[in-house]
Amino acid sequence: MELKHVNYGYPVSEKLIKDFTATVPNGKILSIIGQNGAGKSTLLKLLMGSVSPDTGTVELDGQLIETLSKRQRAAKIALVTQQHQVYDEMTVKEVVKTGRLPFHSLLATISDDEVRPFLRIVDLAAAMNRPLSSLSGGQQQRVWLAAALAQEPQYLFLDEPTTYLDIRYQNELMALIQKLNAEQQLTVVMILHDINQALKVSDQIWLVKSGQLVKAGPADEILNEQLLSNAFELPVKIVNIEKYGPYVIQLTAS
Amino acid sequence: MIKERVAYILICMALIITAIFALMLGTQDFSVVQLWQALMGERPEILSTVLNFRLPRILAAMVAGGMLASAGAISQAVFRNRLADPTILGVTSAGELFMLIGGMLLPVFSFQKQLFALMGGLFAFALLANRKTLRQPYQLIIVGVALNLTFMALTQLFTKGINVGTSLGFNGITWSSVYVLLINGFVGLVAVLLMAPWANDLKLPDEQLSSVGVPVTAMRLGLLALVVYLSADVTADVGTIPFIGIIVPNVARYFVGHDYQTILPFSMLSGAWLLLMVDTIGRIVILPSEISAATIMAIIGGPFLIILVQRGGFHGIKTR
Repeated sequence: MELKHVNYGYPVSEKLIKDFTATVPNGKILSIIGQNGAGKSTLLKLLMGSVSPDTGTVELDGQLIETLSKRQRAAKIALVTQQHQVYDEMTVKEVVKTGRLPFHSLLATISDDEVRPFLRIVDLAAAMNRPLSSLSGGQQQRVWLAAALAQEPQYLFLDEPTTYLDIRYQNELMALIQKLNAEQQLTVVMILHDINQALKVSDQIWLVKSGQLVKAGPADEILNEQLLSNAFELPVKIVNIEKYGPYVIQLTAS
Repeated sequence: MIKERVAYILICMALIITAIFALMLGTQDFSVVQLWQALMGERPEILSTVLNFRLPRILAAMVAGGMLASAGAISQAVFRNRLADPTILGVTSAGELFMLIGGMLLPVFSFQKQLFALMGGLFAFALLANRKTLRQPYQLIIVGVALNLTFMALTQLFTKGINVGTSLGFNGITWSSVYVLLINGFVGLVAVLLMAPWANDLKLPDEQLSSVGVPVTAMRLGLLALVVYLSADVTADVGTIPFIGIIVPNVARYFVGHDYQTILPFSMLSGAWLLLMVDTIGRIVILPSEISAATIMAIIGGPFLIILVQRGGFHGIKTR
């Protein structure tokens, strides 16, 4: 997956994405980090093809993303967002069934057996018939992950998937994503707020500021106090903790 | 699952029993034995009454009830609002107004009423389909109520002093007037069952649906067209019957859960039962006169709506 000289922005306001060129490494975990409003979510939308660049191109396996139909894109890319809104009560299996929609005719009824394997992956097969609202936040996020996996995608996109989860669930979800990446060669692209989380789990990181790519590279290339301080406009310090490795801490005046 | 099955068995039994009573009761009461004899060809005069007067009316009430209940349930799914029923949103009253105007301006042609009711329904939806209104559940209902009152007032304005008031309702309905409703009802209800999965899909936000490759707008328009088709047909043949589209789906959710593939068939059966029950009671309670089903529904529907809203059964979630 490749972005080439992509520019994107609402016609009236300042451009959101400026001359962005980068490649999503296949079969790896990529994290996009940067301040709020840096254009991270817009980048994800461009990569998904839900918005088209004003100039420049987004390619998926050598094809321009806008030449693919919605259904074709859905069979390749799945999205998990930070919080999913549901307008009515849904059971766990109903949610996961929506992930199978790209593979069926519009009027089809999807069987329970078809979605059970995906619920097994996230360890929630037993909760299949329960209402979604009866699950904890961490479990709900796993249900949405199962729905994304039910799309059998090549690319798994996650937009701040850990935002509403407590630390334990965050780690649990990250471990699951790493496992999926390793076992199913799934290419993972995620937006993360927690720099340390991003550094620990990612093979590659894009550091973004004001719609531009500041730096793309593996964690050790991003671990630079000057670079991060500039990108986040905040003094940071990198400390080494024995057995746990480097951590970025933000410095605030007391 | 067991609760669901029991609910289905109970509603089917209620429907059959009510239908038998509806066949028995009327200006002249027949016993089950007499009905049986009639069926065996021993009492042709009873058979004639039952076949020519009671049966078409019973079938019409059942089909119309099923259509109104499923139109209500689908409309609620599309608007993501438990109160969004065609009779509340002004869809049926717009249909009546258009039928009236059409009747005044044009000579009678076949399916004229159906056509104008359909146009009226679409007109009302066009007025409702406003981005801001769709996102605010209370606003949708308030705008709908306002439209409804306006259309009704206009209808009254046109009918006052002018003798074009079409006498609608189930009274005096015969085979010749019922067959259109039966055919349209059959087509509409089959479409409801086929399109039920879409009502479930619409529980997700548009953005999410889009990301799984679903044509959200087409889906929503398809379902709305079905709602207009169902409610316009009933309006054209028997007039506006309020509240069935609200009461039935909300009670159905209580008994069979939140899956539209179960809610919709259950709503059809319950709507059929409710309207048949109401029509039968209205038919026999003040013999030789009768109370229209619409009147009875308005009387029991109002309090039900108040209870629904006050008990917090109204989960109209604010959309982004």
